[in-house]
Order: sequence, then C-alpha cells, then structure tokens
Amino acid sequence: MRRALVLLLAVPALAQTVTFTKDIAPIVFHYCSPCHRPGEVAPFSLLNYSDARKHAAQIVAVTERRYMPPWPPAPGSGDFADERRLTDAQLRTIADWVREGAPEGRPSDLPPAPHFTEGWQLGTPDLIVRMPRPYVVPASGGDVFRNFVIPVDLKSVRYVRAVELRPGNNRVVHHANIVIDRAQSLRHRDGEDGQPGFPGMDVITEGSPGAFDPDSHFLFWKPGTVLRPEPDDMSWRLDPGTDLVLNLHLQPTGKPETLQPVIGLWFTDRAPTRFPMLVQLEDDGALDIPPGDHHFTVSDHLTLPVAVDVLAIYPHAHYVGKRVEAWATLPDGSRRSLIRIDDWDINWQAVYQYRKPVSLPKGTTVSMRITYDNSADNPRNPSSPPIRVRGGNRSIDEMGHVWLQVLPKKDSDEDPRLDLQEALMRRRLEKYPADFLAHYNLGALCFTRGKTADAVRWYQEALRVEPANATARNSLAAALLAENRQDEAIAQLREALRIDPSYLNARFNLARVLGARGDLAGAAAEYAAFVREQPDDADAQSALGAILLAQHRFDEALPCFRAAARLRPGDDGLQTNLGALLAMHGDIAEAVAAFERALAIDPANVKARANLERARAQLARSGSHSQ
Amino acid sequence: MIPLALLLMAAAGSPGILTPHGEKAVVLLFIRSDCPISNRYAPELERLYREYSPKGVDFLLVYPETGLSESAMREHGREYGYTIPAVLDPKHEYVQRAGAHVTPEAVVFVSGKVIYRGRIDDWYIDIGKSRQRASEHDVADVLAGIVAGRTPPFRETQAVGCAIETLL
Repeated sequence: MRRALVLLLAVPALAQTVTFTKDIAPIVFHYCSPCHRPGEVAPFSLLNYSDARKHAAQIVAVTERRYMPPWPPAPGSGDFADERRLTDAQLRTIADWVREGAPEGRPSDLPPAPHFTEGWQLGTPDLIVRMPRPYVVPASGGDVFRNFVIPVDLKSVRYVRAVELRPGNNRVVHHANIVIDRAQSLRHRDGEDGQPGFPGMDVITEGSPGAFDPDSHFLFWKPGTVLRPEPDDMSWRLDPGTDLVLNLHLQPTGKPETLQPVIGLWFTDRAPTRFPMLVQLEDDGALDIPPGDHHFTVSDHLTLPVAVDVLAIYPHAHYVGKRVEAWATLPDGSRRSLIRIDDWDINWQAVYQYRKPVSLPKGTTVSMRITYDNSADNPRNPSSPPIRVRGGNRSIDEMGHVWLQVLPKKDSDEDPRLDLQEALMRRRLEKYPADFLAHYNLGALCFTRGKTADAVRWYQEALRVEPANATARNSLAAALLAENRQDEAIAQLREALRIDPSYLNARFNLARVLGARGDLAGAAAEYAAFVREQPDDADAQSALGAILLAQHRFDEALPCFRAAARLRPGDDGLQTNLGALLAMHGDIAEAVAAFERALAIDPANVKARANLERARAQLARSGSHSQ
Repeated sequence: MIPLALLLMAAAGSPGILTPHGEKAVVLLFIRSDCPISNRYAPELERLYREYSPKGVDFLLVYPETGLSESAMREHGREYGYTIPAVLDPKHEYVQRAGAHVTPEAVVFVSGKVIYRGRIDDWYIDIGKSRQRASEHDVADVLAGIVAGRTPPFRETQAVGCAIETLL
C-alpha cells in the first residue's frame, strides 16, 4: 500500500520535469529563432539546445521583464497579426526550466527545426535599388536618426505589391521607414552636412502638385519583419522620377558599423482598384511640455464620414512619450480599443497589422491620447536636466502621432477617400485655424471635385497665410482658369515665377494660357525657357513646336517635333505630327517613314493613314517628275 | 613587463587578485562577446583604460564564456578596438573570486581586497532601458579617488547587462 502511494506521487513529479526538447524548443523556435539566427539582428543565435543553454539565465532575465520577445501592446488592446507575446504560463515554464538546471530532455520530443528563407523573402525582386554611398555609424554616442535619398530608375509607371529592405548590417538598424518622395523634394538635402544622407527623425515630403494622391501604405521595416505582399488590387503606384527616402534609426554597437542598405521591389501588372489611405491623428501644435511635467497629455479625434476597415496602426512618439492609446467610439456609443502601449519605447516602435480588419461604421469617432513624462524621473528623457519640449523632428523634440491605415468603403460613385480627406482637413482647421496646409488641401479637394469656384476661395485663404507659396499660386491659377478668369490666372502664374523662377510647372502653365489666348510670342518664349531647363519633356517640345508652327517658324519647329517624337517613340500622335511637319518641309521620304511608324503603333490612326497616302502620292509624283 | 593575466594566473588555486608591484589597483572588467550591452560599452571601457592605466591602475578584460576560443576572443577584441589585456575564464575562476554576476561588470581590487563591484556607470537602468548618456560614473569616480590617494570604502551597485551563466 505504501509502495503504491510512493509510485503515485513519483509519476506526476517525473512528468512535470521541464526539458528543452519538450517544453522550451517550441517556444524558442517560434518566438526567438526568427531574429536569433545568423545574419539577423539579434546578437546571438537561438536555434538549438546548446545555444539556449549558453544563454539560459539571460533568457529568464529578459523574458520575465517582457523585454524579449519585444511586444509592447497591452494584452487585449488589439488583435494583431504575428503577436509575439509570451503567456504567463510560458514565462513560468522558462523560469522552471532554468531553475531545474536547463535539462535537454529526450531527443524524440524535439519539434522540427524552424525553416527560414535565406536572402530575399519573395525570391529575386523585380527591381533592386541601393543607397548610393555607404554611411558609417560611429562606435559610440547617442542614437542616430538619418535619412538617405535613393533615386529609382524607372522607365514607366509600375505597381508595387511588396517592398523589402535589406539593411546589409542588421545589428545597427533599429527600424526604418521608406518614404515615397514623388516630387524629389528631399534630394537637395542629401549630403548637406558632408556625410551621406541628412539628419532628422521624421521626414515630410511635398506631394505632386494638383494630384490627389494620399499615402496609402506603411512602408515600415524592423528586424524580424515578415514580408506580407499586398493583394494585387491593393498595390501602390511608383512613377518614374520618384525617390525613395530611407528614414533610419541607427544605434551604435560599440564598433564603427558601415551601412549600405538595398531595397527590393516586387511589381504586379495590375493597377490597384482598392485604395487604402493613411489617416493621421495628431496634435503636435499642442505639444509644449514644461520641464518636470510628469503627465502631459495630447489627444486628437476624427469622426469618420465613411465606413472603413482599419487594416493597421502605427503609433509614433519620441523619448519623452510614456503611454499611447487609441480607440474607436461607434455610433451606438460602444467603445473599441485599437491599441494601448503602457510603457512607450521608441526603440520598439512598429506598425501593427490587425489579424482581421477592424470594421468601423460611418459616424465612428477614432481617438488617440498620448501621455508624456518630461521629468527627471523618466530615464529616457534626452535632456538632463529636463527642458521645455515642443513638437519637432530632433530627438530632443517630441511627436505624438497615431496613424491608421484604413480602407474606406464606397457608397457612391465618388472616391471615398475624398470624403475622408475633407474630414481630416476640416478637423485640421479646428486645431489650427490659420493652417496653410488645410486650406490648400481643401482647395485641391474642391478642384478635384470640379467645384472650382470654391477651390479659388480656399486657395486664396491659403495664400493669405503663406503669400510667398509658389505652389499655391500655381494651383490657384489652375482654378482661376477653370473659372475662365484668364487675366487673374496669368497674374498668379507670373507671381509664382517671380517667387520661384525655377518653378517649371508654373512656367508650363503660363505658356499654355498665353498660347490659348493667342499670345504666340509670349507662349513661345515661356515654352522655350521651359525646354532649356527640361529638354527631355515631350509635352513641352511638342507644344513649343506647335506654337512655332503657328508663327510659321518652320525651321525652328522641326527640331521640337523631332525631339518630342524621339522622347516618346511609342506615341503615334507625335510621330504623325512629325511626319506632317517633315512633309511641309519637303522631306517626303522621311515623312513617309514617320507616318509608317505611327501606323505601326496604331494601325487605326486615321490622320496618319490619310497623310501617308498623300505623302506616298506626292512621292510618286515627284519621282515621275524627276525622271 | 609581464602581462598581468599571467601574473594573476600564477597564483595557486583560484586566481589571486594581486596588485602588481607598484600598481595602485586592479580592475577586472567582465564582458561577453555576444552581449549587446557589454559591446556597447567597449568605447567607454577602453577610455577608462587609457585614462587610468598610465596613472597606475591595472586592467584586465575577463570573458566568462564557455566555448569561446582564444582566437575568437582576440578577434572580438580587435573588432571592438580593445587594447586592454584580456583573458578567458571558462571555469569562472575570476567570476567566483570577484563575485561578478553580469556582463559588463567591473570589480576593483586594492591590495587583494574588493573595494567596488558593479556597474560601469548609470547609462543603463535596466535591460532595454537606457539614458541618452550616463550621469553617474561609478568606476571612474572610484579610480579617480584611488589615484588621488583616497581609497574609498567598499561599495556595490547593480550592474545591468547579460547574466553570467552558471556552469553545468
């Protein structure tokens, strides 16, 4: 009887022994190995028993603090893809294992070793671009926040379904954002301090003027990022001439580290049909934190004018930020958490993608609140003693942003992003009544919607705030033209060019208005000035040629038509025009060749066909004449 | 000059932490080749060495890592710019004699007795939590006192970094 009792006790005790192969390997393989392997960011590998044994006490120390695996969102504050949070039970298992001497266990219990793709995650990218010059991170000193402009050499518009950053030196890159700079607005800053790139934690690019083209995707990278390609119908557009700006957070490692990241892009042939949009909640204007303040709060909200699916969320603050929270209040008054981070740490900032999109009905209010601790008790405070902190992009400044990637749902023929943009800009006006951007964007929005009289008024308001803004003058001119107010438009364009003589967009527009008004000499002069700066612009060459032609300046017009046709060899209209001009010049054989090229591009081009017939006939006539 | 590492290992049994003739103190710096916090301290440890070594303080880097080879240790030292003499401690002889728990951690001996054990400075508050720069320089202060002829009383602080693993 007594013996039986001993046995009964002994069996469960044996079964409870925690071993690597049975209990620890499943945790390590899933949560640790993706980053703890050769070539990845983590400082050592955790791929087998020997690796884990060598770091056993350290594993307990970092997991019990929940420093590793890094997963800042509070449990239950959002249902995110790839959640890397260990359960309390898992933490206990790890601690028990180490306390019991970190035994290996039976080999037969070991789960299969994790499999990782080497190199590019989706195979060879369709395009690889590289940071032009390497940058050296010094051995010591504070964190480095730096931006590098990477030009993309594209011949035609492409649609991107995936982007992968390969830092080249994973140990030093803490996180990265890839910023799309469609207007090459940051190129001039690269190298401004004698080193590759330029400093700054955050970058702001100028959009392409006129077009409603809001950012749609988070192009965020952190070590261990699993690449998830976009569905083909949600790709994003990459135009020729676009720069990618790599915004990096670099951390000195104790030795100088050389860095020259590459970016791989995968394309799809399909243009997107679903357009997400990035919605920013912020109130940086209210960021003015007195030194010593333990609890400074910034908040913002937006009532959604359309139903949306929230796909992902990206909170952003700097070192003084302490707690980040975002939530949605539905029209029925119920509240739904979007994220909460109780101990904000910029080192682990990340984009969090929802496992399933969060559907929010029209009329939902999304809100955020960020708390800051600008006291000396906050060890991360970059200033000692604390100083007054305001919004800005240096590490001693603060920010308070919560970005949402939302997919607006269509309930009319209009692009639902326009409603969202309008709500955002009207909210901006509430926060900042004298804001240039809000007025300007509301003008652009009205222009897009064909409400050109309203557009004129918004642009005029914007210019009251920033009279010397050439872009706004140019946009106002476009709206005035649409309202048939040519004289005022010309005055605005001339003013834009006075402010910025190198503003080619305004010059082109001015040439066009002058041409339309019959001021051929004026138009010719402006187009000529344009092509002197931008000889590779087929539209400008073609327009200049047409004006010169109207002025009967055939000899000068011909090179313009030649240039236009050469620059855009696939445009049958330009080939036809060139042919017509050559024919007028008497170069019939060459004209025939041009018409034939046009017809090769588009056999249904009626003008080219008719011109070709006439030119051939003329060729035959002159041929018989000369015989 | 006889390398300090040899001098120390010459003592029988566990290494005697002797102050070499004419030297005022011995500093053991426990580091680990794959510990990021320890590695980030390399420039600061080297700076301490360059400042206090000419003033009569002896330094020794100790790698308490099992399985680290002599050549891997030298390669690590070269990579991180260390010129401090270094020694492997696979059996934790130095670890036990000095009572070290973490890398990086400093233990300062004067006349064979520990007078300081703990963090280099207060740069790190906890694993993953650091100030922009240190505001208290514990080891430098202890050494400055010693070279000025004031040997401070024993003090211990909590070093932050990677736990020194227990031996199997």
